[in-house]
Amino acid sequence: MTRTVAVTGLGVVSALGGNVDALAAGLLEGRCGIAPLRLFRHRGRANVAAEVPEELPGHDVALDPATTRRLSRADRFALAAADEACHDAGLDASLRRSAALYAGATTAGMRETEEAYRRRRAGEDRRFRVSHMLATPLSTPAAVVSQALGVFGPRGTFSTACSSSALAIMAGAEAITHGRARVVLAVGSDQLCRLTYAGFDALQALDPEPCRPFDRERRGLSLGEGAAVLVLEDAEHARARGARVRALVAGWGTSTDAHHVTAPHPEGAGARRALEAALAVGRVPAQAVGYVNAHGSGTRHNDEAEIAVLRAVFGERLPLVPISSTKSQVGHCLAAAGAIEAVATVVALERGVLPPTVNLRAPEPDWRDLDFVPRAGRRASLAVAVTSSSGFGGHNVTLVLARPGAL
Amino acid sequence: MDAGALRTEVKELLATGLRLELAPSDIPDESPIFGDGLGLDSIDALELVVLVEEKFHVSIPDEEVGRQAFASVSALVQFILSERAR
Repeated sequence: MTRTVAVTGLGVVSALGGNVDALAAGLLEGRCGIAPLRLFRHRGRANVAAEVPEELPGHDVALDPATTRRLSRADRFALAAADEACHDAGLDASLRRSAALYAGATTAGMRETEEAYRRRRAGEDRRFRVSHMLATPLSTPAAVVSQALGVFGPRGTFSTACSSSALAIMAGAEAITHGRARVVLAVGSDQLCRLTYAGFDALQALDPEPCRPFDRERRGLSLGEGAAVLVLEDAEHARARGARVRALVAGWGTSTDAHHVTAPHPEGAGARRALEAALAVGRVPAQAVGYVNAHGSGTRHNDEAEIAVLRAVFGERLPLVPISSTKSQVGHCLAAAGAIEAVATVVALERGVLPPTVNLRAPEPDWRDLDFVPRAGRRASLAVAVTSSSGFGGHNVTLVLARPGAL
Repeated sequence: MDAGALRTEVKELLATGLRLELAPSDIPDESPIFGDGLGLDSIDALELVVLVEEKFHVSIPDEEVGRQAFASVSALVQFILSERAR
């Protein structure tokens, strides 16, 4: 019998707040978490970002004091989200012990390393200290979560730029369908740092104002930070232990553009193959899809290629399929984006709320027939949705998520 | 420098050098520096050796010397004083 992949727990940290309820409220209200950059000084074109508020709720997981003292922001985001997700799923110590953990990361504790370098240059520290470098490896957030929560199963960290945690979810779903794991923690976590901020700004990829995906005047993306964790579980296993199934991961697909180091393929050839593969894996006809949580970065190239793909796959029905970009609210959280947007999509299915595209004033003239859910969230009953992520270097991942019993 | 002033400096180095969430005056004189009390681990030990060597111009060449020097704040003060007297 084919195994079905259930989502039984959710956790999230973003500019909209430190838990799933805060995200859900922010989606419905259409709050924008993008504001002036405060974490570090940057001299360039852009100066806004979606920072996680300082008063972020803590987590009550057990870690030794020395490790706790050295955690990076990316580690703390991941821990808070994992703690929420494990509580939500009702995973006790024995279920966590046998779980697998797949994570996505692009810079992990880079900001702490940058700070160590700054202190050394400013003469505040006489030498580089090993403790300030321990958060640098991309595998650290996954290591910290597994240590804190006692997760002893298979573990891996993917770094495929902005699709990293979408790929982690896909790896988790495959581990379950192939019988390699019954419970998987899929983790995405990234924090703002100078490297990515200055890098994206130098590429002229940042909108000087809060990003405006799909708007005719969009000028680029806004960077964000945060983490999300989804507890994935063999649906039979979830049923047997009486866990609440919040959604199903019904399909997944990945592809590579093999086109350019930063630009997407102009017609979105790779993104289209990922979307078609995800629908095929889930045996989901395109007409069953009721909502698209787009990659929607807000760059001219991405949005154009993405709408071209959606037009090709959904055809004349596309105006009836709401499309929105959660990045307009929480910024582009890089490795965390795929998981945060998967959580937003599960919230949409479960609570019947279409997440909006905020900051959208006037869409591209050619896209006026499309429904971008402008300004605020909208009540709607949804059965099946897709969420897409595309990363630098042409890494595409699409996930199909469904309400339990919808397929 | 007398032992009292040195003791204060050692505690300040521990608190600020290792970024502990502790006031220097809250660090006890006689409990082991490593172990449960201050919540330090083996990575802190590596760093503390370097910090102490740089700040007080002493040498902690091996684990055995380290074990004696870091037995407590008082032991570390004695170690620095006796190294300086040599």
